[in-house]
Amino acid sequence: MPKHIVRLVILLVASGAIALIAKWFFTAESFYQYGHYRADSVPEMAAQKPVFQTPRYCQSCHSERHAQWSANNHKTVSCEVCHGAAQGHPQEGKLPIPADTRKLCTLCHEAMPGRPRTQPQVALAQHSGGQQCVVCHNPHAPKLAGVVAKVAGDAAAGNRKHAASCASCHGAAGISPNDTWPNLAGQNAAYLVRILAAYKSGDQTDVMMSPMAKTLSDADIQNLAAYYAGLSCQAAPGEGRVGDAAAGKALAKNCAACHGETGIGSNPAWPKLASQKAGYLVNALKTFRAGLRRDPMMAGVTRGLSDADIANLAAYYAAQSCEPVTQARKTQ
Amino acid sequence: MKPEAITSLVARRAFLRKIGRAATCAGAIAATGALGVVQKAAAKSVPAPSRGSFPTPDYDWTQHRWGFGVDATKCIGCLRCVEACKRENNVPADAHHFNTWVERYVYLEGETKARIDSQADPQNIAASGSETEYRFDNRYQDAKVEKAFFVPKLCNQCEHPPCVQVCPTGATYRTQDGVVLIDSKYCIGCQYCVQACPYGARYFNVRTRVSQKCYWCYHRITRGLQPACVEACPVGARIFGDRNDPQSPISLFIRNNRVQVLRPETGNAPNVFYVGIDKEVG
Amino acid sequence: MEYIAELAPFTGYVYPNETVIPWTVLIVVYPYLTGLVAGAFTVSSLYQVFGMQRFKPVAHFALLTSLCLMLFVPVPLLLHLGHPERAFNAVITPHVTSAFAVFGYAAGFYVILLMLESWFVFRPHIVLQAQEEKGLPGWFYRVLSLGSYDLSEKAIRYDQKWIFALAVIGIPAAHGLHGYVGFVFGSLKSREWWSSDLMPAIFLFSAVISGTALLIVLYVLSCRLRKIPVDLECVKGLAYTLWGFFMFTLVLEGVEFASLVYRGREGTDVILEYVAGPLLVPFFILQFGIGSLVPLALLTFMIWRGTTGRALIAGVTASAVLVLLAVLMMRWNVVIGGQEISKTGKGLLAYSPLIFGRESLLAAASVLVAPLAFLLVMVRLFPPWADAASYYASQPRDKR
Repeated sequence: MPKHIVRLVILLVASGAIALIAKWFFTAESFYQYGHYRADSVPEMAAQKPVFQTPRYCQSCHSERHAQWSANNHKTVSCEVCHGAAQGHPQEGKLPIPADTRKLCTLCHEAMPGRPRTQPQVALAQHSGGQQCVVCHNPHAPKLAGVVAKVAGDAAAGNRKHAASCASCHGAAGISPNDTWPNLAGQNAAYLVRILAAYKSGDQTDVMMSPMAKTLSDADIQNLAAYYAGLSCQAAPGEGRVGDAAAGKALAKNCAACHGETGIGSNPAWPKLASQKAGYLVNALKTFRAGLRRDPMMAGVTRGLSDADIANLAAYYAAQSCEPVTQARKTQ
Repeated sequence: MKPEAITSLVARRAFLRKIGRAATCAGAIAATGALGVVQKAAAKSVPAPSRGSFPTPDYDWTQHRWGFGVDATKCIGCLRCVEACKRENNVPADAHHFNTWVERYVYLEGETKARIDSQADPQNIAASGSETEYRFDNRYQDAKVEKAFFVPKLCNQCEHPPCVQVCPTGATYRTQDGVVLIDSKYCIGCQYCVQACPYGARYFNVRTRVSQKCYWCYHRITRGLQPACVEACPVGARIFGDRNDPQSPISLFIRNNRVQVLRPETGNAPNVFYVGIDKEVG
Repeated sequence: MEYIAELAPFTGYVYPNETVIPWTVLIVVYPYLTGLVAGAFTVSSLYQVFGMQRFKPVAHFALLTSLCLMLFVPVPLLLHLGHPERAFNAVITPHVTSAFAVFGYAAGFYVILLMLESWFVFRPHIVLQAQEEKGLPGWFYRVLSLGSYDLSEKAIRYDQKWIFALAVIGIPAAHGLHGYVGFVFGSLKSREWWSSDLMPAIFLFSAVISGTALLIVLYVLSCRLRKIPVDLECVKGLAYTLWGFFMFTLVLEGVEFASLVYRGREGTDVILEYVAGPLLVPFFILQFGIGSLVPLALLTFMIWRGTTGRALIAGVTASAVLVLLAVLMMRWNVVIGGQEISKTGKGLLAYSPLIFGRESLLAAASVLVAPLAFLLVMVRLFPPWADAASYYASQPRDKR
C-alpha cells in the first residue's frame, strides 16, 4: 500500500476517533438521562419564581377587602387582574389602584358582539355619560343595591292610612304643600317600601320621618307605597326655583343611568325625580353629600357637587314633567 | 551496502525521527485530554433513577398528567389572560409574540365565512393604545352580527409534537408530566420548530435569540399553582388540572362535555380540549 | 420594540406569532448553495463515474467548484442561527428525527468526501508543487502531500481507485445532502404549500440543473479569461444535461402544483389567491416565464437545429444564466412563498427583506459571491484545467 494512502487512512481514523471522543466529552452531563434532552433544564424551568401570587396571598394583609370581594360578584376576578402582579409586594412598594376605570372595566364590560349574554355589558356612552365607573360602582362589590323590594299592598288601605298620618305634610293628593317636603304622588312603590323600611329600621334617620315610620307596620308600608304609586302626579307650580335648569340639565346626564334622562328611571328601586320639589331635592342632595343621609352610591355621586350644582340639578328636575314619555332604550 | 539502500535507510531514519517527535507531542496532548475525559466519565455516570423525586424534591413528575381545557362559550375576550401571561413569562412586550392569544370570530349577516381578528390586528393595537396593552376594538358594534365568539389559543402540548420531532439538538422535549418545554440554554435558534408547529404557538425571541412558547407555567404548576392565564380568567373559560385525578377540573371538563381538539388530522394528539368552537376554528 | 426582523403586513387572518417571518433570504440562499454543490458534483461524476469523456474539460473544475461552494454552505446557516456558537449542539447530540441533525453529519461526511476526492485528483500537482515551491506555499503543499512524493504507477492506480470509489459514494451523498433540504420542507404538516412527498425530488433535480448551469457559465468565463477556445463538445454535453434534467424538473414541479390544486384541501383557495396575486411576478414571470420557458425554448431550438460554434456557446450560456435565475426564484418561491401563506389557511403576509443587516439582501449576496471569489483563489492553488499543458505553456519560462 503506498505511503500516502496509509498516512491518509491513519489521519482519517485518528480524526474520527478524536471527533467521537469530543462528541462524548462535550455532551452535557445530564443529557440522555430521561430522554433526548438535557435533564437539568427541567428543574431549571421549575425553579423560576411565580410572578402572580393569587388572592390567597392578598388575604393575609387585606383580609377585610378580601372578605368583601369574595362575597360579591367580582369574586371570580383575581385581585392581580386589576392591581397588577403581587410579586415583590409589599417589599417593593404599593400596587397601583387603577385610575382610569373607564379603560379598565370596559375591557370586560363593554357591550361587544361575541360576548356571551351572561356577561354584564354596557354601552358606555349611554350608560354613564362618560363618568368613571367607580363613581357608582364599588369594584369589590360591584352590583348596585338596586334591589327591588316586593310590593303587594292594598292601595285602599293605604289611602286610609295616608289620610290619617301623612296627608298633613305630604298633601291630600300626595302633592306636598311646601318646597321642603317631597311629593309622593306617582313615586315608585318599591322605592317607597325601601325607604320607609329604612326609616323604620333605623338604617336611615330623619328627624321627622324616623318617629313616623316607627309607628308603621310592614303591611302599612306596603299599602302606603301601593297607594302613592297609583296617584297621578302634577307639575309643581314653579315656586321660587333658585337654580339654573339648563345648567342642571347638563349635570343630570350623570344621573341618567339610574334616574333617567328626565328623572324618570327604569329601575323602580330608585326614586323618580321628575317634578319633585326643588327645595326637597336640594336638602336631599346636601344631606347625601354630608353623609347624613346614608347611601354609599349617592354619597359618591354627590361628593363632587357644589352648592350651585345642587341648586341647578334641583331646578332641572323640578321643571320636568312627571308623565312618563317613551324612554330611550336603556342598556341596563 | 548499495548507495541507494544507504540513502533510503537515512531517509527512513530521518522520517522515523520526525514521526517520533510528532508522536511525543501527540501523546502529551492525548494524556491531558485523557485526564479530562476520565473526570467527565466519573461525572456522567450518575444514573437517572438515583436522582430521586424529579424535577424538585416536592414535586414528582411521574405522579401527574396535566391537561388544559378551553370553554369558548364563556370567553368574553377581555384579554386579561394574554396580559397575565406576558407578565408571568417574560414574553416580548409587543403585539407580535404571544404564548397565548385570543381570536375573535364574527359572522355577519349574509356572510358564510367568519371574519377573524386577534391581537396582531392593527385596528386592535390602535384600540388598546399601545403594543403592550391588549384589547379588542368594537368594530362590529353597529353591524348586523349573526354569530360571534372568542377562542383562546395556546400551545397544545401535543402527545406527538411535530416541534419536538424536528428539533435538531434536543432543546425542546416532552416531560413525563405532559408539558413540552424548551431548554433555552441549549436551543441554537434555528426556528425549525417555529415552522413545524401547525398552530402558530411558537416564536423566536429576538432578545434571548431562542425559540419560546407557552409551557403551561411549568414553574407554577410544579408548585401547586395554576397557570397565570387560568388564574386571570374572570369567567372560567380556561380550565386546568391533573388528569390523573378523576375529580380535577380538567377531568370533569372532559368527562362532562363533548370536547374537541384543534387540527386533529395532523395526528399530533393535542392536550388542550375545546368546548364551543366552530367549524372554522383551526 | 427591538426587532431585527421586519414585521410582515398581512391580509385576512394570520396567527399573531406569524407576523414575524422566521426564515428569511439567507434560508433561500442556503438550499441554493447546496443545490449548486450537488449539481456541480453530478457533472463531475458524469466523467469520473460514467466515463463520459466529453466532460473531461470541466470534470476537475466541477469538483473544485463543488468543494468551494460546500465550504461556504454553513455560512448562511450560522448567520441565521440565534446562537451560532451553539451550532455544534446539533452534532454533539443530534436528534435523529430531525432533518437538520442529519444534515450535520451528512454535510460533514460530504465535506470530507469532497476534500478527499479533490486531494486525490490534485495530488500530482500537489506533489509537484511540494517539491518545487519554496517558502510558505511550499510548506503548504508539503503538508498536503502528507510527506509522500510517490507518483509511481502503483500509487496513481491506487489514487484512481479511490477517486472512483469516492465519486460513486459521492453521488448518493450529494443527492442525499441536497434531497434532505427538500425533505425539511416537504415533511412538515404545518404548511400546505410545502407539505409534499415530491419536495426532495423537486429540490434535487432543480439542484442538478443549477449546478450544471453554474458550470456552463464558469467554464465559458474561465475560457475567456484564460484566452483559450471553449470545448464545444463539452458545452454541448452540458447543454444536453441541462435540457434533460430541466424538463424532468418542470414535470415534477408541475405535478406537485397540480396535485395541490386538485386535492383542494383547506387553504387551497388562499394559495390560489396568492399564486394569482403576489406570486405573479416572482413565479409566473421570473421563475416560469423568463427563467424556464425561455431557456427551454432556446435549448430545444439549438439542439433541434444542431447549432454550433459561437452561437451555441452564446445561446447555452444565456440559457444557463436564466436557469440560475429560475432556480434561485424557485428557492425563493418555496421558502418565502411558503411563509407568506399563513398556517391558518385564511391569510397572506408580505415579506420585505432588509437591505443591510445580518439577515439581509447584502448578506445573501455576499454569501453567494464569496465562494466564487474563493474559487478564484483555489484555481490558482489547484489548477483544474484538463489542458494542463496549455496552463504551463502560458506561464513564464522560469516558473515552469
